[in-house]
Amino acid sequence: MTAGMRMLRIELRHNAMALMVPVVAVLFWFTTYRRVMAMPPLWNLRAAGLQMYSVIDFVTPLTGAAAWMGSRESRRRLADAVLITPRTRWARLLAIWAATTIWALVAYLGCVAVVYGMTAGQVSGGGPLWWPVAVAAASLPAFIALGFTVGVLLPTRFTAPIAAIAAFFILVLSTELIGHNIHSYWQIAPIVAFAWNTGSNPGVATFYPYLPDLSIAQVMFLAGVAVTLLGALALVRESRVVRAAAAALAAAGLAAAATAVLLVGTSTMDTHGMIRIADLHDAANDQPVQFTPVCSHTDIPVCLNPAYAAYLASTTAALEPVLNEIAGLPAAPVQVLQEAATYRMDPHVGEEVTPADRNTNGEAVYHLLLPVQMAGPTLTTAQMASQVKWTDGPNIVANFIGAGPGASQAQNAVAAALTMILGRMSADPDLQASLNEDAAGGPGLSQLGGLIRGTPAQPAAERFAALPAHARRAWLASHLSALRAGQITLSQLPGAQLP
Amino acid sequence: MTTTRQAAAAGQATPTRLATAARLIWLYAASRRIPSALAAIACCAIALRVALLGHWDAYGALQLPLVIETAAATIVAATVASPFGEPERVCGRWLPFLRFGATVALTAAATSALVIAAATGGHLAGGTLDVIRNVAGIAGLGLLCAAALGGGLSWTGPTAYLLPGVYALYTQWHGPALTTPWLWPARPPRDLGGALCAGLVFAAGLAVITMRGARDRLGDGE
Repeated sequence: MTAGMRMLRIELRHNAMALMVPVVAVLFWFTTYRRVMAMPPLWNLRAAGLQMYSVIDFVTPLTGAAAWMGSRESRRRLADAVLITPRTRWARLLAIWAATTIWALVAYLGCVAVVYGMTAGQVSGGGPLWWPVAVAAASLPAFIALGFTVGVLLPTRFTAPIAAIAAFFILVLSTELIGHNIHSYWQIAPIVAFAWNTGSNPGVATFYPYLPDLSIAQVMFLAGVAVTLLGALALVRESRVVRAAAAALAAAGLAAAATAVLLVGTSTMDTHGMIRIADLHDAANDQPVQFTPVCSHTDIPVCLNPAYAAYLASTTAALEPVLNEIAGLPAAPVQVLQEAATYRMDPHVGEEVTPADRNTNGEAVYHLLLPVQMAGPTLTTAQMASQVKWTDGPNIVANFIGAGPGASQAQNAVAAALTMILGRMSADPDLQASLNEDAAGGPGLSQLGGLIRGTPAQPAAERFAALPAHARRAWLASHLSALRAGQITLSQLPGAQLP
Repeated sequence: MTTTRQAAAAGQATPTRLATAARLIWLYAASRRIPSALAAIACCAIALRVALLGHWDAYGALQLPLVIETAAATIVAATVASPFGEPERVCGRWLPFLRFGATVALTAAATSALVIAAATGGHLAGGTLDVIRNVAGIAGLGLLCAAALGGGLSWTGPTAYLLPGVYALYTQWHGPALTTPWLWPARPPRDLGGALCAGLVFAAGLAVITMRGARDRLGDGE
């Protein structure tokens, strides 16, 4: 064993960070593990959550412990005693920093192993994302270098607590200063995994690869900061050669950190909801991820990305009444296929993102966007299924019939009649309230109802809905083309002669 | 004659004793770096005032003050470390009173400084009661850590508590909310349970530090 390794081993055995590992583990369990594991079992969500929350968990104890270790020689009045050792002061200090970093990384990787191990047993598709893990891991040496340098340079009893809290303060402040600006330099903070304004969105990094652009810049920045701070330690009380080497190292680190910050200032949000930095971007990451969808065994199969397989049964159950009604008829979709959300900048709101809708009337494939793919509060499976039922169900019918504001009264009446099989009202009052507003991506239930309410089409729709299912199907099979072409009038609808 | 002499002796002793007491208090304050602590607390107050210049969202308006309150509380707790250890314990019969007085005075100074900083044109989302409760409770945690781990490591408890405190505040917007009064930073300012828990922790920390002082560890008193 070399002398350097022996020194490192001694430092590992006498390191304050070793005592902080249980504290960090408890904090991680309390504020990170419980939150991350409560998220839907999707790698993108959990990886982003792990990056953000674990950095917040680790920063305070790490920086404090590092400052405590940095001030050790001064606190114990050993500065003169160790001056005569054969190793340079810088080498001794680097050994302490390395030992602190090793303990921190061991604790962090243990936490990652637990979260990723548990997640691997729950997810149904995709693979673990390693860039978020790498960013959080790279933040540990940087924060340790920060605390350690402060501890070496200002060895007082107040240094450790103030360094620890200042590091946390900077992190909290950075989240406040990012605001709604996608070009914000503050996105360099290691707690940012996705566009800050949209949060960790289940819709990103599933259909397209995770873009590592921001992560690369963050790792570059963190490595640069760590190298700069460690280099700064050797700028005093060292030989001229060591000082020159340290100055060069610090300058290189500073340049890397500054470059990373400038690169982050050029970031934009791409159409897949991830942060793109042109100078770091690899075009290969724009290609969609190849996958074999998981499909239901219904007449019109509902097919989802394997990562969302947990939602297949509930989504199928939500759409089945409508799909059964139109299956086998001409112009009915042959498949309901989940699509990737498309993100765009809203010119009025700024970086607000909205999913784009690609469905057109009479298309063979109905493109489904699950509510869990969109930004917003976390939904339970039942809530998500309810939203699908009350928004996509009517949309499928409207596309099938060609209903909408410009369609004939008969088209709107038949479409409204077919949606009546879903019921009149959602059982969820919150959802019903949202349905009363304009539904995104299609006419939706409320708009179909609004188109016929108070017109002769309303009783016609109710009469059509009251027909037996086989009678509706038979009539649609023979009249659908004419209905879609707007050639059918209300009086020609079956049941029009009924009182 | 005797009465006159006794009165004269008492009259001479009073200023001497006062000077001695003042010198004792000053030496105690200097040994505990209390002047530096006051300067650091003043910096915290300035930081709070600067932070309040920003128009923070709901999180920031409560989380940023909590971070600064924690900083002030850790500074209070860091002053209890003694550079003398056993000799001081043996010789100083006034030590418990000095510890008690210094800790209470510093806690009061910390809360006052933060409240005054916020009152000079800033808007503190939690109000004065929030500051008093948070600083006292977190300082109490620091005092307990000083008694258990040593004055130099008194910061470990408050800084570790900061994270659950911030998280509990976060859960007030993103449920399920953590409502235990032991996470008092997330409780409303006038919440009795939170105030009682914070007060209890401060009282316990103050009692332990007053009676026993911080645990002696090599180099803690620097």
